[in-house]
Amino acid sequence: MNTGSTLLRLSGAAMVVALASHVMTAQAPRRPAILLKGGHVIDARNGVNGIMDVAIADGKISAVGANLTAPADARVVDVRGLYVTPGLIDIHAHVFWGTDNTQYSNGPSSVPPDGHSFRAGQTTLVDAGGAGWRNFPLFKTQVIDRSRTRVLAFLNIAGHGMRGGPWEQDLGDMDAKLTAQRARQFRDQVVGVKVAHYEGPQWDPVTRAVEAGRQADIPVMIDFGGNEPPQSLDALLNTHLRPGDIFTHMYAHVRGRTPVVNAQGQVEPYVIAAQKRGVVFDVGHGGGSFLFRQAIPATRQGFWPDVISTDLHIGSMNSGMKDILNVMSKFLNLGMSLQDVVKANTARAAAVIKRTDLGHLGVGAEADVAVLALRKGEYGFVDSSGWKMPGTQKLECELTIKGGQVVWDLNGRSHADWTEDTAR
Amino acid sequence: MTRGAVLATLALLLGVPAPSFAQAPPYSLLLKGGHVVDPRNGVDAVVDVAIADGKVAAIESSIDPARAARVADVTGLYVVPGLIDLHAHVYLGTAPDSYLSDGDVGAHADSHSFRAGQTTLVDAGGPGWRNVDHFRSSVVNRSRTRILAFINIAGHGMAGGPLEQDLGDMDAKLTAQRILANRDLIVGVKVAHYIGPEWDPVTRAVEAGRQGGVPVMIDFGRNEPPQSLDDLLNRHLRPGDILTHAYAHVSARTPIVNPQGQVEPYVVAARRRGVIFDVGHGGGSFLFRQAIPATRQGFWPDVISTDLHTGSMNAGMMDLLNVMSKMLNLGMPLADTIRASTTRPAEIVRRPELGHLGVGAEADVAVLALRQGEFGFVDSSGWRLGGSRKLECEMTVKGGQVVWDLNGRSHTLWDAR
Repeated sequence: MNTGSTLLRLSGAAMVVALASHVMTAQAPRRPAILLKGGHVIDARNGVNGIMDVAIADGKISAVGANLTAPADARVVDVRGLYVTPGLIDIHAHVFWGTDNTQYSNGPSSVPPDGHSFRAGQTTLVDAGGAGWRNFPLFKTQVIDRSRTRVLAFLNIAGHGMRGGPWEQDLGDMDAKLTAQRARQFRDQVVGVKVAHYEGPQWDPVTRAVEAGRQADIPVMIDFGGNEPPQSLDALLNTHLRPGDIFTHMYAHVRGRTPVVNAQGQVEPYVIAAQKRGVVFDVGHGGGSFLFRQAIPATRQGFWPDVISTDLHIGSMNSGMKDILNVMSKFLNLGMSLQDVVKANTARAAAVIKRTDLGHLGVGAEADVAVLALRKGEYGFVDSSGWKMPGTQKLECELTIKGGQVVWDLNGRSHADWTEDTAR
Repeated sequence: MTRGAVLATLALLLGVPAPSFAQAPPYSLLLKGGHVVDPRNGVDAVVDVAIADGKVAAIESSIDPARAARVADVTGLYVVPGLIDLHAHVYLGTAPDSYLSDGDVGAHADSHSFRAGQTTLVDAGGPGWRNVDHFRSSVVNRSRTRILAFINIAGHGMAGGPLEQDLGDMDAKLTAQRILANRDLIVGVKVAHYIGPEWDPVTRAVEAGRQGGVPVMIDFGRNEPPQSLDDLLNRHLRPGDILTHAYAHVSARTPIVNPQGQVEPYVVAARRRGVIFDVGHGGGSFLFRQAIPATRQGFWPDVISTDLHTGSMNAGMMDLLNVMSKMLNLGMPLADTIRASTTRPAEIVRRPELGHLGVGAEADVAVLALRQGEFGFVDSSGWRLGGSRKLECEMTVKGGQVVWDLNGRSHTLWDAR
């Protein structure tokens, strides 16, 4: 079965409807079985790291093993020489796009998810605090319900979300109880609570977010800093945050926030201690939050990220960040193993947001899959200060499958070859 | 970021005074060692490109790197004018059920443009005369991409359903008035999705185009039996008007390649008299079954465009470079694919200041790698065609600013000291 012959058999009426809506009928909601043949499967959660076939039926993973036999109706996709991983999860993105002048909260600083996700192997994006308890329902109807990407959310502790200016400084709009109630109301989408951009010096946004997180049993993610002198990073990491809470922008060095690598070039011992006690360190690359000056000494000392994420928004997407694969490739070239890089964006990311149904390829799991090529050559990677690091490896997304549907296929691997006979 | 800016930023971060730079070099950016393809100016050679004050300042061999604040080694790459996509849909908005006119079927311009070497996107009929002001404020003014537009002959624009069928809302005079009042933005008139059988949308669009001094672009067909393509191309359209979806085969539109596998003689005749044929790939409008026989018979597109929207961006279309690569692998020479997405669309929308790299031109530049390998390309019926070459965007410069730099070629190596 292939999409070509399926489409050719469509009636004229169906064709008109398809064209009128400009939607490809080849991706109609039937889900043929797929067999991904001969790829190198990396599934950290299930301890798989080797050449295996992956079979998909009814939108779920139906088998993983060597030399699987294809069911009669399966589309067999040759993925030899490629890596087959769970669909990538980006725990820090900004996709609450809209047309108001409200920055990341229904505003123009956020981007529609589907133009970025699938082409980079991502099947799940987590919006990091765009919406607060007041406007989460709008975010859900406007973005979550209308995107093909799975969109989850950290709810901002500020009720109006990441709206910019004084809206994000208003302690009177940061309510732990209401935030927790909204999180519980939308359990399927809300996976955490976000604190960001607060200029301090009060700790209230953090303590209220942690309280909301406690009430709703979800982690908090902190984008820290903004006060002069900086509030104590040690106190944040080791006094306020719980194991499982997330510190994002880990390799940033911005005013009003103590960096993890100190002036002597050493990772602060209390930062290592925090990671040891279970605080999660997230890259959150963004437009201004990833410096080689931090990341290179830190990783040389063994301080690697728990999670690799983009902080996708209009200011990062066309700069040194680009997409999750570019950020993952940076870490590959810094010396992180491919297995660890993939784990950070799949099994680990899923565990951090307590969505262990995602980020793995166990039999019965939702068939969210990325097929990645590891290109070899001369590449360059740019940080937030504009410095470049050379590299020899770079990931490229060949194929993305979400819920058993092919949603990206760079080189048409899941398609049948055109022949002269096709024309007749 | 320039080396100076990097140092200044670092200095700021470290709390030390920024170093001063006594004499700024004359060029802000030098693209060194690339193969320049600039069809309008007849350049097809390895030559350096220097940029100053947002304009192309010099095209010469061996420009001294010391004369530029920032130098990008582009040896082995193609340096071409910033690509122009004649057919995109970027009137993205949150109005319910509004399709490509302030609805969410449109794409987010800056998310797609620069990473594919595009500096100019032309929205193909999203807004009509009623909402073009809103289009300007909500999309054009908020995008870094240069956005131009074909204004829809339907006053509400491409809003879907009956709004695109209402002959009472298709007014040549009002449309022309909007064109004349928005010359910086509106470059043509669009007719699309009209079910027919009336010719009024076409005749009114042509009349609006005549009054406004701009071409029309036609997305034809929807009536059963199909209206005459010969009549459209050879009686209604003027030289310079555009038929988009050239290689489509959809019911209710006569394809250009007939059942005998031949390009219809009246199609060839229409091209000869100056009608423009645009790819407009989209989600459903590019079939190898049409494109392969047509191009074998020498019927190549005048313009290569995407028809970018949410239904095409993740399908066989993907982006403009993928569509150009398709044509390349069908046998179109590289220089012709570049011409069809730079100089030619600039001429067609009567913006000849764009789409070339002459000295003094706006410094919109794309630096492209031509990858060699085993690639595949998918058409709108889902058929795959293998290919050995594929374009990748290394750098995009708009108005002299680097807006995309895949491998950091314009950046300085990090130094631990």
